[in-house]
Amino acid sequence: MLRYITKRVFAMLLTLLIIATITFFLMKLLPGSPFNNQEKLSESQRYALNEKYGLNDPVPVQYINYLGKLAQGDLGYTFQFDGRTVNSMIVNGMGPSATVGFEALLFGTLVGLVLGIVAALRHNSFIDYGAMILAVFGIAIPSFVFAGLLQYYVGVKLEWLPVAFWNGPEYHILPAFSLSVGVIATVARFMRTEMLEILGTDYILMARSKGISKNAVIIKHCVRNSMIPIITILGPMAIALITGSLVIENIFAIPGIGEQFVKSINLNDYPVIMGTTLFYSFLIVVIILIVDILYGIIDPRIRVAGGKS
Amino acid sequence: MSMSERKLTPDLFRPANLDSGKSEEISKPSLSFWQDAFRRLRKNKGAMIGLFAIVFIIVFSLIAPSLSKYGMDDQELMRANLPPKIPGLEKVGFLGVDGVDIRGVDQYEMKNVPKDQNFWFGTDTLGRDQWVRVWKGTQISLYIAFLAATIDLIVGVAYGGISAFYGGRLDNVMQRIVEVLVGIPNLVVIILFIIILDPGILSITLALVITGWIGMSRIVRAQILSLKSREFVLASKTLGSSNGRLITKHLLPNTLGAIIITSTFTIPGAIFFEAFLSFIGLGIQPPTASLGALISDGFRSLRIYPHLAIYPASIMCILMISFNLLGDGLRDALDPKMRR
Repeated sequence: MLRYITKRVFAMLLTLLIIATITFFLMKLLPGSPFNNQEKLSESQRYALNEKYGLNDPVPVQYINYLGKLAQGDLGYTFQFDGRTVNSMIVNGMGPSATVGFEALLFGTLVGLVLGIVAALRHNSFIDYGAMILAVFGIAIPSFVFAGLLQYYVGVKLEWLPVAFWNGPEYHILPAFSLSVGVIATVARFMRTEMLEILGTDYILMARSKGISKNAVIIKHCVRNSMIPIITILGPMAIALITGSLVIENIFAIPGIGEQFVKSINLNDYPVIMGTTLFYSFLIVVIILIVDILYGIIDPRIRVAGGKS
Repeated sequence: MSMSERKLTPDLFRPANLDSGKSEEISKPSLSFWQDAFRRLRKNKGAMIGLFAIVFIIVFSLIAPSLSKYGMDDQELMRANLPPKIPGLEKVGFLGVDGVDIRGVDQYEMKNVPKDQNFWFGTDTLGRDQWVRVWKGTQISLYIAFLAATIDLIVGVAYGGISAFYGGRLDNVMQRIVEVLVGIPNLVVIILFIIILDPGILSITLALVITGWIGMSRIVRAQILSLKSREFVLASKTLGSSNGRLITKHLLPNTLGAIIITSTFTIPGAIFFEAFLSFIGLGIQPPTASLGALISDGFRSLRIYPHLAIYPASIMCILMISFNLLGDGLRDALDPKMRR
């Protein structure tokens, strides 16, 4: 197990290094300059600005400096505001982003689990079909379309909830719900298939024939065993949540990392783009690593297969 | 009632004629794998609805723009922001296609639009016919999605196939490369790529392909690896088939099911990512528009002109749901084991 983890951590570091390198060189290829009013600046002013941000050094030197700082967790300064670091921007944006993401994950998983379990227990019934149709809709409809419609009908037309911004608990509901739709659908579908499979196994029949009550069998044997493989979809789900948060934060004007990222794309703010890209990659790679290790610990069969491939 | 009345006498029965030759006969015409799969697909209501919706939208996106006399970027500020109006359906209130905006003002009368001019999906902020823009946008979205799926398919099948067929060290090297690539989140790569290349149909497709083929290559590799060691391939090899014949006659046809299923799911994924890019400002640039770009534009004025977002959003939702339904149906029909 330890060898597997070390191997995976090394692979992760290599992936991160490659991402950092790609990000750096792609950013160098970008057209345009990060400074506003480029034309109004005199030659010497431009030189001074470039000097300040280290843009006058040869590219390999910049690359080494960049990697060195990166190793210390320093993502550099933003071009948008004087003297603000990318780190501080990410830390500032992290609160709202993490809150929405976490709420969506929690709510989505809970509702998805209940929906999946009920659908499996009432297999081939009206509830089952209804839940699965909902699940297909949830998977197919992009979260931003859903968010826009919710914003329009619930926020603008019915005026039940605030349309946008981030000023209190009631502002969380719409964005978190629109983000969670995909999670609900994925979890519900997964849980249903998993439950159906386990309901048909011999050990469930055995438990029932021993005289254990139906509810006890479902809760203790069925649900618990079905939940193990859910861990495998946590990785892709986290990626989907991050992707979704980019647009959801824009639609609802939440001051999170995603909104910041999109803004910096439109402003050519290289350090923020690079920093946020790396931050996202780090997040995703670490989540996938944790999920894999967790799964290896819980289900030894995976570990054996994973070690070989 | 007749059961109790009728007497069952022995002379009603007669021994069945047991013809050993006849009992071996196959009573139904034998079905090939594809006929069988198609029969299963046809039974799946969801998949058939999806298939019809997709065909309908494709056909419509091709012919609908020519039903209007305006082009994609014919601007006319005099007729900007007109709500949708479809002659004949004006009386049906809940459809909202009577040319009256959300404040209850008949914009067509107010702006002195000639009586014979009707915009079925309304017009946008520059007075362009939304009907034409929506269907042209559908065309572009579908084009990007199909192009991305096709390139994914070619690259993925070639990479996975070569890796699995030749095996050994080549496979080892190729899979190490894939392992590293898989670790890189596609969201990040796609965004970086679009920032570098100017956003356009081709660059968006390329960005989608850069990470997209990996999934396909992994599935093809797994399939071919398991097929390679099967008896029929061994038999063909023993009979002296060349590698080319093995690949084209045995390996590829047997992988086709998995390839089709994966492609069906690639397309909605590509449509989604294209729309997503439009949303964060990296999509198709005006005056051309894709579904995503239209939705993103429409959301900006959702409060006042809901029709600008509603139509492209509904078409996009129908497309996505249809492709997902069709994909699910195909998976059940072609490969019942893959069901999940």
